[in-house]
Amino acid sequence: MKVNNYKDISINKRIAMIAASELIGYQSCFVGIGIPSDAACLAKLSVEPNLNLIYESGAIGAFPQTKSYSTGSPSIAFGSDMITDSFSVFSELQAGRIDVGLLSAAQIDKFGNLNSTVIGSYDEPKVRMVGSGGAHDIACLVPNLFILMPHEPRRFVNDVDFITSPGSGSEIDQLRDKYKLGSGPSMLITDRAKFKMSPDGWYLHSILQDFSYEDAIEGLPWELKKPSNNPIIVDSKIIDSIDTINL
Amino acid sequence: MIEKISNINETIKNNITNNDTIFIGGFGHLIPFFLSHELIRQNKKDLTICRSGADILFDQLIAAKIIKKVIFGYIGNPSIGLSHSFNRAYKSKKIEVEEWTNQSMILRFHAARMGVSYLPSKILQIGDKPPSIDYLQSTSCPYTGNIYSAIPSLKPDVALIHAQKADKYGNVQMWGIDGDTIEGALASDKIIVSVEKIIDNETLKLSPEKTVIPSHRVTSIVEVPFGAYPSYVSGFYSRDDDHYKEYDSISRDEDKLAQYLDEWIYSSETITEYQETIGKEKLIDLEKGPCGKI
Repeated sequence: MKVNNYKDISINKRIAMIAASELIGYQSCFVGIGIPSDAACLAKLSVEPNLNLIYESGAIGAFPQTKSYSTGSPSIAFGSDMITDSFSVFSELQAGRIDVGLLSAAQIDKFGNLNSTVIGSYDEPKVRMVGSGGAHDIACLVPNLFILMPHEPRRFVNDVDFITSPGSGSEIDQLRDKYKLGSGPSMLITDRAKFKMSPDGWYLHSILQDFSYEDAIEGLPWELKKPSNNPIIVDSKIIDSIDTINL
Repeated sequence: MIEKISNINETIKNNITNNDTIFIGGFGHLIPFFLSHELIRQNKKDLTICRSGADILFDQLIAAKIIKKVIFGYIGNPSIGLSHSFNRAYKSKKIEVEEWTNQSMILRFHAARMGVSYLPSKILQIGDKPPSIDYLQSTSCPYTGNIYSAIPSLKPDVALIHAQKADKYGNVQMWGIDGDTIEGALASDKIIVSVEKIIDNETLKLSPEKTVIPSHRVTSIVEVPFGAYPSYVSGFYSRDDDHYKEYDSISRDEDKLAQYLDEWIYSSETITEYQETIGKEKLIDLEKGPCGKI
């Protein structure tokens, strides 16, 4: 399949396409339901067949063929290579034996801190959300962490209302070293661009083909310089598989 | 051997008292809906309910106003939205919360299961902590000096879980997604189990590797086919995703939710009535779905 204009592809598919390209070379990936799971499935189907998808419910080597609502859903269980318990997969995660994790959230700040707990104050929230689930645990423990977010400006903030899942940056990295944690989020993927982490927070690394610098930073509250890297062009194997993934 | 077969009414009446802390099993799979609904029918009061990832069963128990406190890592309607009854109770401060993460909840149960008062973990040392877990302490390893969170054990009074099969002595066989179900059950003082099918001990002994909880740890067994609906049971029936979607819109409206509780809980007192509320066609459909019987 040839892409005439990346803007014609849906938001979720664009995120999954860029994320799938970044999963080449990894063998195990801790994922939750939604775009993270879809991106990992797409990578497995197209460019990284060795990738083992691991869900907090205890499913390993899962490859859901239909839409899943829970990490314990029949579509996750059916066709898994192994079903163990949550204790075991979180133990592997803490031991640093799962290569990469993918997370999304309601809010993200410049240092990759994520919020899935409350909008507003903790005691008097405007919106009370679902809480961490395994997100905090993944953000602390996984050696490589990528954040996947739709480009919706209200989700991108200077300070998240609650740090459910801790990020990176110079201050927090010292604590990560002290407590022997994972290195924190190294990449943020939106449906328009790819950002990488520096001691000063996210910088704009590269922009998806057919999108402008203005598109990539539209409505984001952070100072982001125009990147010198080439635009992102997605591997044709990923493009060819995109319609087989349930997005 | 002591026989453990009971009925839901008796076992909930005899084994659960007001103010108890109850672990509720099921991680997407094997959620003990019908068994837990009996807590509502018997109008138990001031219960504390706990598990890692809580879905709409927790929302129903909160909606029925029998819950004093909820201890959790996640509470919502997975991939669909929020736990609306929980949100109303949270915002009006009608419920106490103790908010952890999924891994920390599992470690809390694991510690209780092991008979120790805490377990060290790398999590919950950075990021924001909900005020309810501000009491979390850290500990240093006497060998390496590494610093860890000291995750406190959590020993529920009773576990309510659902599994595929058990024999009359209470040996429980379960397979498929477990999540924290066995962990939470073995952390608890009493374990009440609903199953799809009660089988002979001789049959059970043909596959002892499927037995996950031994008879001496189990308080009682009840046979309730389709008792995990609208979640699912591997080898029996699939998940009714539509029910979860409909519950989202119903639970936004307290009047509609009251009607739902009446239909699905108060007027579905026996497992036969519960199956009738689900509907024959739906039951057959679900048996054909992924992880179902057919």
